[in-house]
Amino acid sequence: MEFAIELKGISKSFGPVAANKNINLSLAKGEILALLGENGSGKTTLMNMLSGIYMPDSGSIFIDGKKVEINSPEDSSKLGIGMVHQHFKLVEKFTALENIRIGIRNEGRLVHGADVRKKIEDTAAKFGFEIDLDKKVANMAVSEKQTLEILKVLCYGAKIIILDEPTAVLTVQEIDRLFAVLRKMREDGHSIIIITHKLNEVMAISDRVAILRHGEYISTVVTKETDEKTLTELMVGRKISLNIDRPIMEKTHPLLEIRDLTVKNDEGAVAIDHINFYIRGGEMLGVAGIAGSGQKELCEAIAGLRKIEEGQMIHEGESIVGMSPKKILEHGISMSFIPEDRLGMGLAPSLSITDNMILKNYNEAKGIFVDRKSARAEAQKVIDRLEVITPSTETPVRRLSGGNVQKVLLGREIKSGPNVLVTAYPVRGLDINSSYTIYNILNEEKKKGVGILFVGEDLDVMLELCDKIMVICHGRLQGVVNSDHTTKEEIGLMMTGTINIVNKEGKTDGIAKDSAFTDEEGKA
Amino acid sequence: MRKYHLVRRADAQFKRTLIYYAIGILVSLTIGAVILAALGINPFEYYGRMFSIGLIGNRYGYKSIEGLLKIFVPLLITSLALSLSFKMRFWNIGGEGEFLIGAIAASIVAFNCSGLPNFVTVLLMCLAAMISSGIIGIAVAALKVKFNTNETLMTLMLNYIMLYVIRYLGETKAEWNFFLEEESERPIFGTFPETAFMGGIPIGPFKLLWSVIFAVLLTVIVYVYLKYTKQGYEISVVGDSSATAKYAGMSVGKIVLRTMFISSALIGLAAAFTVSAAGTISDTITNDVGWTGIIVAWLSKLSIPAVFVTAVLISILQYGCQAAATQYPAIDINYADLLQGLILFSVLVADFAANFRIVRKEDAKNA
Repeated sequence: MEFAIELKGISKSFGPVAANKNINLSLAKGEILALLGENGSGKTTLMNMLSGIYMPDSGSIFIDGKKVEINSPEDSSKLGIGMVHQHFKLVEKFTALENIRIGIRNEGRLVHGADVRKKIEDTAAKFGFEIDLDKKVANMAVSEKQTLEILKVLCYGAKIIILDEPTAVLTVQEIDRLFAVLRKMREDGHSIIIITHKLNEVMAISDRVAILRHGEYISTVVTKETDEKTLTELMVGRKISLNIDRPIMEKTHPLLEIRDLTVKNDEGAVAIDHINFYIRGGEMLGVAGIAGSGQKELCEAIAGLRKIEEGQMIHEGESIVGMSPKKILEHGISMSFIPEDRLGMGLAPSLSITDNMILKNYNEAKGIFVDRKSARAEAQKVIDRLEVITPSTETPVRRLSGGNVQKVLLGREIKSGPNVLVTAYPVRGLDINSSYTIYNILNEEKKKGVGILFVGEDLDVMLELCDKIMVICHGRLQGVVNSDHTTKEEIGLMMTGTINIVNKEGKTDGIAKDSAFTDEEGKA
Repeated sequence: MRKYHLVRRADAQFKRTLIYYAIGILVSLTIGAVILAALGINPFEYYGRMFSIGLIGNRYGYKSIEGLLKIFVPLLITSLALSLSFKMRFWNIGGEGEFLIGAIAASIVAFNCSGLPNFVTVLLMCLAAMISSGIIGIAVAALKVKFNTNETLMTLMLNYIMLYVIRYLGETKAEWNFFLEEESERPIFGTFPETAFMGGIPIGPFKLLWSVIFAVLLTVIVYVYLKYTKQGYEISVVGDSSATAKYAGMSVGKIVLRTMFISSALIGLAAAFTVSAAGTISDTITNDVGWTGIIVAWLSKLSIPAVFVTAVLISILQYGCQAAATQYPAIDINYADLLQGLILFSVLVADFAANFRIVRKEDAKNA
């Protein structure tokens, strides 16, 4: 086999943390290699060394059989390596054409003129990209931005393309389209590394799979000769069950009813557009939608953090519209939202676990002082119950690993004993083990009769975990489906707005039969 | 090929940090000594005078202590106040301006309330200074909260506005201008009436001013406020992540306004203490505390006990240089600035060295 890339004995440490330990990896010419590993297993670090962002502490890199030094992204690009990062590196105010052009260098000078456009158009046509070169990045959807990123590295002449979790932001249909492009690139002789932790995608697209675990290289297997179960075991290091529990509970009356809700986003555009839904006790309702379809605004509206333009929100027979966030919390509605950076909302990263415990109820203590004694006790309780790994209750949250951070957040949310739990992206960025812990915590709450609104990203997980899934597209309700009677494809089409089943067969989705609304209030 | 690179140290030890700081300061003093030697001054003698702040062989040693405290009190209070706002990540670099507003407000009281008893006059001066500085602080914070203006620019510009206001007051001979000496032909700032002078406890010939006692007390109060009170907790949450504070149901705007009021009002208080101790006002009354206070706050990493220690050290450096400079015609107060700059720089380097180390890149053995 001829190798495009060979890595020998690569190690990289950040302080005491060894991100990569003595890694050996090879990428054959014209193959798609999936790089599989849990969070923190060192996938991105390893790829960043190929793209010149980090330099290895030791070890050597061979490109096309020649030993090379990659000291900067420029070196990397000269060697024909192109990386498509998880967070796009595009100039928002520029058009697609301009974004590509700023990177094309001709002996150090910027290139202008029509031949650049021609070159880009040719490349796009060759691989089957659909892109409007004169559209500004700011006006692009996520999938368009990604297309642009890939086109960009191809135009720079990359023969080796690295994609860091490219599917995380795409819908099912968009993923199919991406994979078609990748296959075309492979036919053209490009070598591709795709980082992911979704096993079904690994099986669908890759020729071989390289597995990392805790910064160590485990093995490389041929995709055709393996299966999802084996891959998981290699990745996690032991046998685990891939099934997510979904306890079936006696559903009680609707706890939270939302009727005709309209909310605007920060820019003043309508983010949630006349949405109806309800959550019963002992039920988990999933919310599916492309990123930025109004999920954040919906959560904020329920928690009282965002003004609502129109509509009703009834919690146990009482309207919560216009109540302060504190009041809503006292009513038993708890909301936690894990943003993309994972620490930005809900937790104060530099403060200790203790201090984060009392974030929502520090004001209940009498007098002018904060009650840290009982906060410490509460922190210890959460640590014990959810098995948070931490040196002490006084450790800053920032120092914990992702899974533990999210356990602390959920622990705080459930300790106040809410009856409606709104949770957005609770497993964002977590590895399989931590994710399952979180699912268990949520199921425990559900068994207690809590109504849960689960805003998620991974449709496979939502289909297994949630009782029902409501799908939104551009802030509009596309329908509420029962997880047992739907498919991923159907939800995917609803997410893109292709099908809408709200008014299917004369019944309106999102309005409970035994609604607490009177006829007058509830005119939808 | 790059042979060396930086690695963050795993264990940032307190002891090592202290040792590195000591080395850093020693290095900067050595550089300072070389400069002194080049000017023909014996550095040991000079440093001796500097660190003893002119106490040795001085019949009026108590005057040195008084002089030192006059520098120390405003610097300490300003640094405490700035630490409050920095803790909230509100970049208040308007210490100079806020100080001047307080100084002017206190002087207005001083020049116009000559009939009142001493205690009442000084108290009124402090209140006037705190309220006017505080209001300006609120104004800047309100612009930030309402229109998301850049507080760094706003507070920076405030410094220059106030500098020119006080220069205007100091240079404009007019009927209404009670700030100036009436008898003098040239415009100069007048002296306060006796009743506007800061009182104190006499210890022999030395007078321990109330402002000194209060400044020390204030250090304890600010420490407790930040560490143990709900309001202090709110400041740290807002500083750490205002999105989180909002999610927790805190009204971030109110907290920002309140904290900036307290921060600016404290700087106003420092100004009232200063003019009352000096018995007059001038356009150099701030002694640059608005700037030096920023340095003190950050050198201390916003830890209140460290702010106290750092403020003591910087005051000794400044006053010591002044005191020592009187003996040497070749040297003036600018040397203090130079030395201060050197020490700051070396402490920053020491801090970096305490947190990172340089390692040599090794090739893989199997390569």
